[in-house]
Amino acid sequence: MNSKSRYAWAYLMIAPTLIGTLAFWFWPAVYSIYLGFLKSENFGLVNHWVGWANYERLFKDDEFWRNLRNTMQYVVLFVPATIVLSTLFAVLLNAKIKGRSVYRVIYYLPQVTMAAAAAMVWVIIFAQDYGLLNSALGTHIAWISDKRFAMYALVIVGVWGAIGFNMLLILAGLQGIPRPLYEAAEIDGAVGFRRFRSITLPLLTPTLFFTSIVLVIGATQIFDSIYLIIGKTNVALPAVRSLVYAYYQNAFIYYDQNYGAVIVNVLLVINLILTGIQFLLQKKWVVYD
Amino acid sequence: MNMRQKSAAAVAGALLVSSLALAGCGNSNDGGEAAGSPSAGGASAGGGSQKSVTISYTIWDKNQQPAMEAIAEAFTKQNPNIKVKVDVIPWGEYWTKMSAAAPAGTLPDVFWMHGGQFIKYATGQFLEPITDKVQAGEIDLNNYASNLGSIYTLDGQNYGIPKDFDTIGLAYNKELFDQAGIPYPDDTWDYAKLAEVAKKLSQPDKGIYGFGAKMDTQAGYWNDMLANGGHIISADMTKSGYDEPASIEALKARYQMILDKASPTHQQMTDTDTVEMFKSGKLAMIFDGSWDNGNLASSDIIKGKYDWAPLPKGKVARGNIINGLGNVMSAKGKHKEESWQFLKFLGSKEAAEITARMGAAIPAYKDTQDEWVKSKPDLNLQVFIDQAADATPYPSGSKSYPIWFAKESEIMSQAWGGAISIEEGAKQVAEMMNQAIADEK
Repeated sequence: MNSKSRYAWAYLMIAPTLIGTLAFWFWPAVYSIYLGFLKSENFGLVNHWVGWANYERLFKDDEFWRNLRNTMQYVVLFVPATIVLSTLFAVLLNAKIKGRSVYRVIYYLPQVTMAAAAAMVWVIIFAQDYGLLNSALGTHIAWISDKRFAMYALVIVGVWGAIGFNMLLILAGLQGIPRPLYEAAEIDGAVGFRRFRSITLPLLTPTLFFTSIVLVIGATQIFDSIYLIIGKTNVALPAVRSLVYAYYQNAFIYYDQNYGAVIVNVLLVINLILTGIQFLLQKKWVVYD
Repeated sequence: MNMRQKSAAAVAGALLVSSLALAGCGNSNDGGEAAGSPSAGGASAGGGSQKSVTISYTIWDKNQQPAMEAIAEAFTKQNPNIKVKVDVIPWGEYWTKMSAAAPAGTLPDVFWMHGGQFIKYATGQFLEPITDKVQAGEIDLNNYASNLGSIYTLDGQNYGIPKDFDTIGLAYNKELFDQAGIPYPDDTWDYAKLAEVAKKLSQPDKGIYGFGAKMDTQAGYWNDMLANGGHIISADMTKSGYDEPASIEALKARYQMILDKASPTHQQMTDTDTVEMFKSGKLAMIFDGSWDNGNLASSDIIKGKYDWAPLPKGKVARGNIINGLGNVMSAKGKHKEESWQFLKFLGSKEAAEITARMGAAIPAYKDTQDEWVKSKPDLNLQVFIDQAADATPYPSGSKSYPIWFAKESEIMSQAWGGAISIEEGAKQVAEMMNQAIADEK
């Protein structure tokens, strides 16, 4: 087989994924950039070119800055908590304990739970009057409608949902660490936390780097828990509204796709910057052998 | 070999199925002729060339689904080649889905239209005009009560056929009134009386409240504002009425009921809708629309224990919002002729009578309302018909309505949740509405 036909085969094999990615991810992103320069009427069938006007409006909009701050606050709270807890559970479940697979399944369960159903359960847990959380703590906090607490409620739900999958990734990373290293460390007298600190953690950094990139991008796009748990008539909504929620409101409730488009375009740029920064910083902490 | 045998069997199977289907058609035609009904014979003769089609009919109220399906069935009985599939998309997602379907050309063949959304869809030419059919006398828009025939008209073109109308009533739980020894609400009540009785009926420690002072428009404070002499929007739709002192006063009076613990808090009412609280016997009184009676009646807890009264009188008038829904058809439908036949049937007296008899909604067709009132003889449904005469039309009918209406609830929920004052909320809504009106000019 010559190399040309080998390439042809390769492209044929990746075609389903490639076409799907181009049609459902790449094209909408490009189209959003185009929409951002328009003022559309009649459900997008009539369009006028307005240049940067939508962006000018966005940067003068106090609500946009507040939504951006909310989104970043969520990222800062959610990502470290998820990484630390996922690593902790992964290390514990990597040890030889009784009923290990049962625990693995339990921690992975949130991943296979329907988001909408889980949200309903969380609403009951957080309820002010009869909620489980308040009766456990002996408090009377309006977890999801007090603007001081609503963000933490969302972070709790987010971390709960994210641990399963990230734990799995980290578990795979742990099992990729060669056994002899631990044996050598043991001979050198490194046990317990010292072993974790000097061997496990450094060798886990490539996995942690990957999870943190994916988690940051995912966290900036928080939407469904706000939609399902906070809700649109909640007095705390302005304190937790994310950029994607603002996009949804503008594009689908206020019928302003153009303003919605500039919000997600700005989010795209923010994500590129955040990912770029992480790639620059990786030299300082990621260990590749 | 094996493979070939399998595919041969499949082909044979397919042939068998299709020949059976053909035989089935033949049989049913024979049956029709054997029945000897001349009209049926004529229909099937004409139907020989007509293909059987299925059209879609999309609605947003699950409680009305049985009645709409009964109408569809009655229609198919008369037009055996046209089947109708009734789909329900809940109100919360209805217009989001429709606004995606419209530019894509995938609107349902026939669907419910709301006065607030009509102009957008009509100006975009997504709705099929029925003007020539009206002019040809296929349908008479004077058949409908209270000028409802004119709602779905734009620039001299007709697009919709009135389906029903609705007004707002005061639903009350008789049992809670009896326990407190307080006489039931009647047409002498004013807002002061409502507030006073609501306070008396409340037992917050038991989770029972007198009134659901909900943050709501059509079945909420819009009625209060009108009764108090305020406005939602000026008659020419150019200026918001939210910042008029009379409007603000009415809004404050409603909110005061929460502060007085005569009503659940905003958060409680967000967690559990007031209608659900009423249905579980936790609320003595709510405002609710005539369209919702079927929903209230479905609760076993309050069955036979609730009734309706007119809304209380305000300083200036008895406020009430009247709204009429319409049936429209898509301009891009594949089966327009069949859709028109169904649309026409939906506007017929027969369809109105099915709607009335099943208690689904107050039909728009003249002189069929009594049957709706009688559909639940133990309830005073007459209050909805009586209030229609002086009611204010739903403030839609402008291009800016869908925008300001969506933003209104977001601002008012800040006021109802206590983050800003009622006055501040009302002023912000007025400013937002005036801006939306200016933007759509």
